[in-house]
Amino acid sequence: MGLKRNVSLSAALGYKGQAPYLTYILHRIGGSALFIFFTIYILSLVGVQAANGILANWVFQIIFLPFMLFHAINGLRITILDLSPKLIEHFRTAINIEWVAYIVVVLFALFVILRNAFGG
Amino acid sequence: MATRTLPLSKRGFNFETFMWAFTRFTVIAMYGLIIVGILGTLGLSLQTGANFGDILYWAFFPNAAENPLGQIWMTILAKLMVIAFVLSACGHGVHGVLEILDDYFTSALARRWSRNFIITYAVIASLIAMYVIWTK
Repeated sequence: MGLKRNVSLSAALGYKGQAPYLTYILHRIGGSALFIFFTIYILSLVGVQAANGILANWVFQIIFLPFMLFHAINGLRITILDLSPKLIEHFRTAINIEWVAYIVVVLFALFVILRNAFGG
Repeated sequence: MATRTLPLSKRGFNFETFMWAFTRFTVIAMYGLIIVGILGTLGLSLQTGANFGDILYWAFFPNAAENPLGQIWMTILAKLMVIAFVLSACGHGVHGVLEILDDYFTSALARRWSRNFIITYAVIASLIAMYVIWTK
């Protein structure tokens, strides 16, 4: 692996990689969100009250949960395709299925968070 | 796109291949633990009449001091499952974070220190988590 990055950030953001690139970027953002979540979770286990407050905060959940759910669902697709090489030629169909599953799950999750937040 | 042409046996088993396999197997372990956790939660909901969402929430947050369903979940099996999940997540996450950091830290020195930091963090966080989960 080279030690120099030859692509600027602006060029990377402007790259039109379509669905596979979008899932790649969202997977990384989701992984980073999970890393932050894991750190707060450890602090919560230790007994830091502020960490408990953050985890229970509906704004935190609204921001982090969609990314974390995407990471989990996209990771499932990657794992299935990695372990079943014959399916790789159908990867665009797999991404479409993934988006449908993700939208259903994330809408349900957001509904539950908002219902709990506003006591519905 | 054609299917993969190089079989696993001919790819060799270097560090990257090992970490690729490790990352995949730890994520499969996590999916397995989640499925078992959800099935267990469904069973407990049936038996106790408690809200499925509440039990599911507390199943992944085994804080006995604030856990209204602690007596149900704080069994040795539940603790072992949560510890296994945390260790799987930590092992999976270390490699993922390293891949991201390697893309943004381009000097050899920065990469070495980012690796030292993230591996140290993972070991300390895992030890703290295991201790707290087991002793509470």
